Amino acid sequence: MGFLDALLGRTKPAEANLDKLFGLPGARISLEASEGLTPTLQAGVCFKPATGQAFAAAEQEITELLDLPADDQDFSTPGGTAAPGAASGSGAKLSEGADEYGYRWIVIGAPDFDTLVTRVHFVNSTLKDHGYGPTLLCSVFAFHPATPPAATATTYLVYLFKRGTFYPFVPTGRERRDNEGELRLKALLAEDLAIEPDLDRWFPLWNLPVH
Amino acid sequence: MATRSRFPVDRGLTARMLTTVFLLGLLYAVFVTVLVLVHVQLGFILVLAFGILFVQYFFADKIALYSMGGKIVSREQEPHLHAVVDRLVAMANMPKPTVAVAQTDIPNAFATGRDQKHAVVCVTYGLLRRLDEPEVEAVLAHELSHVAHRDVAVMTIASFLGILAGLLTRMLMYAGLFGGFGGRGGRNNSAGGQLVLVEMGMLVVSAVIYAISFVLIRTLSRYRELAADRSGAILIGQPAILASALVKVSGEMSRIPTRDLRAAEHFNAFYFAPAIAPGASLSSLFATHPSLQKRLDQLARLDAEMHRGAA
Repeated sequence: MGFLDALLGRTKPAEANLDKLFGLPGARISLEASEGLTPTLQAGVCFKPATGQAFAAAEQEITELLDLPADDQDFSTPGGTAAPGAASGSGAKLSEGADEYGYRWIVIGAPDFDTLVTRVHFVNSTLKDHGYGPTLLCSVFAFHPATPPAATATTYLVYLFKRGTFYPFVPTGRERRDNEGELRLKALLAEDLAIEPDLDRWFPLWNLPVH
Repeated sequence: MATRSRFPVDRGLTARMLTTVFLLGLLYAVFVTVLVLVHVQLGFILVLAFGILFVQYFFADKIALYSMGGKIVSREQEPHLHAVVDRLVAMANMPKPTVAVAQTDIPNAFATGRDQKHAVVCVTYGLLRRLDEPEVEAVLAHELSHVAHRDVAVMTIASFLGILAGLLTRMLMYAGLFGGFGGRGGRNNSAGGQLVLVEMGMLVVSAVIYAISFVLIRTLSRYRELAADRSGAILIGQPAILASALVKVSGEMSRIPTRDLRAAEHFNAFYFAPAIAPGASLSSLFATHPSLQKRLDQLARLDAEMHRGAA
């Protein structure tokens, strides 16, 4: 922020940086080779709904463009989320209710990973083009072990729009995360992705609607 | 389609703030010119004023936390509060400040620290108890805007002139009271008489400068509150929630016994809502915060603009 902005008490809302999303296919190969993790082909885009008709219009536009069925599931309750099977097909859904922090999720599914990344990019750039870049919080991509036991934790890659960086998030139960595993993934993915260097920004996202 | 910003800019507020800063700068220049013209020995006073500011600037976070009884809380202690702050700073793209909670029932919040890396955001238990979650988030967004606007740095620098003029006024008064104007060193009468005039003149000038800078600094503080309201409301995208938090906090605050409120008055400039005891009627000219009505009006305007989808 510039000197004049500080002096005048202005903040320019931070814009979203979307280019780095396309580093994901490379990261996917590393994850599969080293950790045995494959994408679940489901991703989520998280944004803060703003007040106003302009925003309602953008929401409607996304719904139409992506052919999203409305979904009134409340993602704040654990388990009250889309079934993994719903991820296939055109499968993008807009959560009707907000999560426990007042954010909304667009859950996106795709037949293959490259399509998934393209769709996530499309949703984000639609929001951004309509001036909602500042309301974007993050996108998450889910990965799970390719071979059973599939009951083990889902691994997430979280993309921070404003920073243009990723961080791994491995929840292991009720408000617990596998920090060791996350740091191992950080080292593993450092070549493929821009990993967020500031560990303070690796915030946990419990009860994700993405599986 | 080209990216466009949905967030309206308030040119009026910017212009008013710029005017205030300009007037402060002008006052500064006038004061320094007068000091140089009358050959006042400034060394000691300058060192003192710099010292005060240095401490204020570099220890702002620790001083404020200490005097407000704020305790830094870890993610394990206040997971929800941390989660809200995490998301807000991720959206605003700023480093995460230290999160603290003060054990007091007054519903309030403050942010301090010289830059984004040394920032502290503190809320009171009273606030967490009385507001619901979206409102707490709105208050935090307001406080984070203070951090993003670097209010501690701006206000510290702005108050330098006030501190300097205030110190000089006091020193000249003591010199006049105890030393007698110009009576030192047994000089001859005519030189002594001139000195008396100069010192009396200086006393008047610095007192006047002090008064004007006080008003200007308070004005600047009010504009910065409005600016933080605005940025905070834009960050959460919902001005109405910040407005409802303001109403709740301001309504509650005036019903609370005076003792606690008085103890908090020093830090008014960094607060979310000012803690002013009922009956202590400050004229709006001296207030650190704009009136509730002004803040609500601004938020209502912003809300209307966002509904129209201002381009």
